[in-house]
Amino acid sequence: MTAGEVGQTPAKLGGDAAEGPFTTRQLLRLDEALRIADQQTGLTFSVYIGELEVPTRDFAEKLHGQIEQSDRAVLIAVSPNQRRLEIITGNEVRKRVSDRDAKLAGLSMAAAFAGGDLAGGVLAGIDQLATHAGRS
Amino acid sequence: MRLSISSTVLVYAGIPVAVIALVASLVTAGSDRTRRARRYRPGRPYDFQPIWFLASPERVSRPALEGHHADAPALEAPVLEDSSGARVLPGPVGGASDSW
Repeated sequence: MTAGEVGQTPAKLGGDAAEGPFTTRQLLRLDEALRIADQQTGLTFSVYIGELEVPTRDFAEKLHGQIEQSDRAVLIAVSPNQRRLEIITGNEVRKRVSDRDAKLAGLSMAAAFAGGDLAGGVLAGIDQLATHAGRS
Repeated sequence: MRLSISSTVLVYAGIPVAVIALVASLVTAGSDRTRRARRYRPGRPYDFQPIWFLASPERVSRPALEGHHADAPALEAPVLEDSSGARVLPGPVGGASDSW
């Protein structure tokens, strides 16, 4: 799977998402969390859940580059099979969310994922990153 | 009052069998649904399609649409690629990695 193919199908509550690992309720909460995080911080939050090509960091950065105005975008990439998560913050976001804050959010996400709570971990990560970014 | 043999069989065998059949069908119907558990469990294979959540999906650039956005920067920075063809971002990106 290439980054290009992923870029063709950004799914939001439909298509792939309906057959994903989330219940409808979890999807709605995710959607709301993303929307509120976007509104409050003025940044673009994005969550990718799926296989990451190795090296995962480079692949996640490539995905992040596909988001428009990627300077102001945050990508949370999670690969359950590889048990790996990457948080990519754009150049502008970096001034508001330090790498230490991102690492902290990553830690709480990893803790939730280790317990099998995929949706809860993603929600916690979005919440922490948005809180650290502050209001726009 | 004496019950005939047929009504005795109906009451003492027919009704219990009907109840047992009802319960058994409910149980099997329930297990059909839980067998295809749509959730992630650590250590079990995760075989769902990749999903990408974005509050506004139109913000992901597609090759065919590039260059037609009103808010695109006036001067496009050249796309830098390293030897393996991977795009090098103009500015450094931050973030963190973790595994579990």
